[in-house]
Amino acid sequence: MKKYLSPLIVGFGAGVLSIVPVAKSFGCCLIIPVAAFIALLLDQKANNNYSKLEIKQGVIFGLLTGIYAALFGTIFDFFITFITKNNDIVATYSELQKVITQFPISDELKDNVMSMLGGVVESIRTTGISLVYTFSVLVNNLILNSIFGMLGGIIGVQILNSRNQKMIP
Amino acid sequence: MNFYLKLFFFFLILIWVLGIFVEVLIPHFNYLAFLYPYLDIIYSHVCHQQPEKTLSISGHSLLVCSRCTGIYIGSLVSAFILLFVPFIKVSNTKYLILASVPMFVDVILYSIGVYTYSKTIALFSGSLFGIAGIIYIYKGLQILLAKKREEET
Repeated sequence: MKKYLSPLIVGFGAGVLSIVPVAKSFGCCLIIPVAAFIALLLDQKANNNYSKLEIKQGVIFGLLTGIYAALFGTIFDFFITFITKNNDIVATYSELQKVITQFPISDELKDNVMSMLGGVVESIRTTGISLVYTFSVLVNNLILNSIFGMLGGIIGVQILNSRNQKMIP
Repeated sequence: MNFYLKLFFFFLILIWVLGIFVEVLIPHFNYLAFLYPYLDIIYSHVCHQQPEKTLSISGHSLLVCSRCTGIYIGSLVSAFILLFVPFIKVSNTKYLILASVPMFVDVILYSIGVYTYSKTIALFSGSLFGIAGIIYIYKGLQILLAKKREEET
């Protein structure tokens, strides 16, 4: 467990950042890859071991950082939605409705899409919970954060190895 | 990395990039409308989706900002070119750092108000980063696979 402490810490931080509106818009899609890189960096510093890293370690650290970020991010998102009865999908619902009505598709299809979306929004507005929304956010976060984390880990290992090579006299 | 593995990654990136263009594709493939709300949520987790920073094609907005569009299109272009490159040989990360400089300089300059946000600059600087990023990801995978093969033999 201690071996993978840095992905847990950084994953927690990334999970928090991914739901803070300003940080989210600033970091964009780079939050998770950068988090994976920081996890590797922290691990090196904590163990005072600057030997050459293996790509495999970058993949594992990136994957774990992504998974932790997804879990923490989803948990925070769930509780914030539950307390405020509001979230991104509720806030942008009217905008989404406008976009969907403008689609050059049949009215029947539009109604079906609207009722699917409306059900989720109504459930969040009344109870603060939508299982469909929470499940889709969890699955989505787990898949995307894991992929972005692993990519960040792969690149992170190369950056750290390149940097550490220069440090060796 | 063999050709088929690279082809697989190319198609994965292609699907991801096509997802960004879902609003443009709906008039041609109506049933994609069902995917629209879900894709909107998916891409909202990787991009702020601010309308003033998002490109639009014939009135249809893309699902991510110009910079992210640039990163993903750059990645797709790079993945396509790398299909025909048998072995990636980049010794250090200087090209990745060089390719990311325009993007970070752009973020800093418009954030401190030197100039207003330009979709073209964001798209271009993002694509440079995307092109370089994929090269290093492929290189990492190449090392990983070579190591695995070494362990097996």
